[in-house]
Amino acid sequence: MKKVGSILLVMGFLVGVVSFAVFGQQVEIKIWHMEQPPHRVKVFQEVIDQFNQNNPDIFVKQQVLDWMNAYQKTIAAIQARQAPEILFTLPDFTTVIKQTGAVQPVDELFMELDQKYDFIEAAVKPYAYDGHIWAIPTYGMIHMMWYRKDLFAQAGLDPDNPPRTWEQLLTTIEQLEENGITGIGVPASYHMYTDQAIYSFMIAGGSHQIFNENGEIVFDNPKTVRTFEFYQQLVDHSPQGITGWSWAEPQLAFNNGTIAIAIEKGQFLSPFEEESGVDGSNLGVAPVPYPADGQRGSIYYPNGMMILTTDQAKLAAVKKFLNYLYEPEVNGKWFSMEPGLFLPVTNATLNSESFWSNPIVAQYQDLVKLMIEQSEYGRLFGFNHQSVNQNIGKIAGQYILAQTVQEMVVKGLSPEEAIKWGEEKMKEAIK
Amino acid sequence: MQLKIKIKSGWNNTSLFGIVLIAPLLLWIVVMIVYPLISSIWMSLTDVDFLGINSNFVGISNYIELITDVEFWTAMGKSMIWTIGNALLQLILGFTTALIINQQFKGKSFVRIWIILSWIIPTIVLAIIWRWILNSSFGILNYILQLFNFVEQPIDFLGSFQLAMPTVIFINTWRWFPFLAIIILAALQTIPVEQYNAASIDGANSFQKFIYITFPMMRPTLSVLGLIGTLWSINIFDVIYMLTRGGPAGATETIPVFVYQKAFQEYAMNKASAAAVILFLFLSVFVVFYFKIEPTFREDNFLN
Amino acid sequence: MSFIKRKSKSKKRAVLKYVLILLLLGVIILPFYWIFISSVKPTDELIRAIPTFVPEKWTVNHYSNLFAASDYGQYLWNSFYVAFWTMLITVILASLGGYSIYRCSYPGKNLISKLILVAYIFPQVLILIPLYKVMSSFSLINNLWSLIIINVTICAPFGVWLLKTFFGTIPMAIEEAAAIDGASQFKTLYKIFIPLAAPGMATVAIYAFLTSWTEFLFANTFILDEELKTLPVGLARFITQYNVDWGLLTAGAMVTAIPPLVFFAFVGKNFVKGLTTGAIK
Repeated sequence: MKKVGSILLVMGFLVGVVSFAVFGQQVEIKIWHMEQPPHRVKVFQEVIDQFNQNNPDIFVKQQVLDWMNAYQKTIAAIQARQAPEILFTLPDFTTVIKQTGAVQPVDELFMELDQKYDFIEAAVKPYAYDGHIWAIPTYGMIHMMWYRKDLFAQAGLDPDNPPRTWEQLLTTIEQLEENGITGIGVPASYHMYTDQAIYSFMIAGGSHQIFNENGEIVFDNPKTVRTFEFYQQLVDHSPQGITGWSWAEPQLAFNNGTIAIAIEKGQFLSPFEEESGVDGSNLGVAPVPYPADGQRGSIYYPNGMMILTTDQAKLAAVKKFLNYLYEPEVNGKWFSMEPGLFLPVTNATLNSESFWSNPIVAQYQDLVKLMIEQSEYGRLFGFNHQSVNQNIGKIAGQYILAQTVQEMVVKGLSPEEAIKWGEEKMKEAIK
Repeated sequence: MQLKIKIKSGWNNTSLFGIVLIAPLLLWIVVMIVYPLISSIWMSLTDVDFLGINSNFVGISNYIELITDVEFWTAMGKSMIWTIGNALLQLILGFTTALIINQQFKGKSFVRIWIILSWIIPTIVLAIIWRWILNSSFGILNYILQLFNFVEQPIDFLGSFQLAMPTVIFINTWRWFPFLAIIILAALQTIPVEQYNAASIDGANSFQKFIYITFPMMRPTLSVLGLIGTLWSINIFDVIYMLTRGGPAGATETIPVFVYQKAFQEYAMNKASAAAVILFLFLSVFVVFYFKIEPTFREDNFLN
Repeated sequence: MSFIKRKSKSKKRAVLKYVLILLLLGVIILPFYWIFISSVKPTDELIRAIPTFVPEKWTVNHYSNLFAASDYGQYLWNSFYVAFWTMLITVILASLGGYSIYRCSYPGKNLISKLILVAYIFPQVLILIPLYKVMSSFSLINNLWSLIIINVTICAPFGVWLLKTFFGTIPMAIEEAAAIDGASQFKTLYKIFIPLAAPGMATVAIYAFLTSWTEFLFANTFILDEELKTLPVGLARFITQYNVDWGLLTAGAMVTAIPPLVFFAFVGKNFVKGLTTGAIK
């Protein structure tokens, strides 16, 4: 018995040595992304594990970053030469990080992937400037108006006829309130969510241009004022605590029936039934309402991946990994991190079985289709002209739109005063 | 106990040994504090941004921009309120607590140790505890307030422009007053009982005893606490940042938070450095002034 | 008559005394109680409109979710590693420095004393930026030693001050006697002063440990890798934007607070004693 034990020990040791010798040659790829919730990390890890298993010469490793200190950490890491090989990004984030000189053009890799999987043009446009492409789009996210059909019915409203205009939205909220239901919850926090929510209304109100064509700030205009006036009305109807809202609170309030309407992205789908305790058919979605002279639209974020390495071996490994990640099979599975939130950016995935067969996506198929449709009306601040305004990163990074909302809601400034304040702040930021 | 060691600073047979012993600490402090200080002063005189790409000497223009910036002075004001609010509240509560636990009662040795429970826990735990208790939807405090009809609507303590500052001051005080109480208690116990007895014979009441015996005897301890406490609390960053991130709308943005935001949210390293240098100068002046006006407190009392 | 009156008055005082003590304990302990019971309630009970003061149903789900979603063991080890070395180095530096300042004589000592005072005045946010560069140039970014070095910087000055009473109240005659006996200065320090100052050093050690355990600002900036995060930074991931899972948060708060509490249970008595001797003269 003892002998067997020692033989096993020696064998184990040998295996260890051999595998060290083999895996010693491994190329390590570090990915930083901002999809913090544990269940998203878990699915991503499964996708990565499968790749690592089939490619013993490469080791991919994910690490989670918080948007709140993403700028600081990334720049710090670049300066300390500890940057990851792959860094997830948003268009405005790229404009800032690019200034460090660490972001590599991805033109070639993009072309290669594009040939195979056919990217949607809107997703890559905000990353294409200065003669190159600076990130490979990963997935899109779109703001929608979510509403509770059951609560609408309770208040005597037609669940299949949600408000389309601002006027209708207000009367709907009032009717809900008459029936003891808080109509809506919109955020007024110093947070990216508020930035996105107010911008969705700015698009709807026709004031989506923060810059004019010469790159000057034109935030302070009558249309923005009108949007903020309307937003203040929505705030007045919102529950307590919105000045501290981040992504999770509106969803919680929506699912436990505190509010009947929320403006948010597609993560509302998967936990709805479990958290609300009602059938999924009670979840309604519609485009963000807009005024009669406004336009259909809401904020659309194509997320992307930047590559921060120039090392040939690592680049080859990155290339291999991305080729794997964009295979519709894998891509579809990857998006099941949060079904409905991540919208495909390649036609290959958009038409793939694996995306649509996800149980949640299948259950809420019509809602997902409406989101994809709304994406065509999507816009993003700083990316509304032919050329990209690279100053937007400085404005978005400070959440100046959210700060402006706070000046109005928390400090009690009038919309005009708050917007004047915001315009000054923006000018200061891009100086 | 009041033995006083005379400070000597000439050469003698202990000199070499003394220098050898202080060297590691000195080196440590020079590298970690003096160098960064000089580096900050330099940065505050340049146009360096967060990316560190540009770095040209621009003289005192950062300072001029700062002192003409309303937000900077608002933050200065917030820092004042924060520091004074904390000092007063902590002193009152700390003193009261010390007087209470100075009594004889069952379990006093337990209470006198575990009372600093709130000081031991990490800041992040402090933040979670109070954010949960004060939560406007599910917080227990709002439930109790509504139960007893003190308020009709739940109060958003950390989200209200008026209430946020008092609330963070209260939370920080909750953390620190027991620590103060322990130190005040120790000082209380050094006052000879005979003094109180003599005063009783002279017919002094409790209040007079406090004013004429306790307070004067406590003064050296209180003045040390006053100085260190002020320096500590004015520089506090983590509590505020984890509770409110300086918000809402700047309601709790003290200078340290202002510096952090300028540096890491607005990428203005130069202005952040300038603000920090101003705070540093301000505190230095404060320390010198403190030494001057506080008669029981001399510099050599502090370190020598 | 007057005797009875006085007795009832003193009884009243006794009652008042205990009421005040209970009130005090309540203010300190109830928040902890509330966090604890929140962490063991099922989620639906946790967010009920009418809260329960004793859980109707007990659950450890939040804890198991927490351990499944985070690398708690790793965070714990990192925090411990940083706290341990911070403690050790702080005690050594502060003791040597304290002895030097309070027992030795050499030119420039006053200046050095003032320099140590400067360490108090220094806003930590101010050194954050330049220290990043220092650490970067020593390749210490993303390395636990960067945190140890900073924590020592934060703790050592207070440690020197705390040790003052311990070194300061030992009569000079001891050194003189030792010198006559022919003992070296080092031997005097080692054989006589260290034992005498041991309670003070213990207090400095505990202070350093606790301060290191709570430090967030630098740990959050200088550490990039998940597997190098300390407990508070690891936990911070859960209190950020995506989370209103208060079960998970309160469970996280509990497991972050427990290590320093256990530590304090063993050494709390010494700490309070040393603190009170050190703070008054």
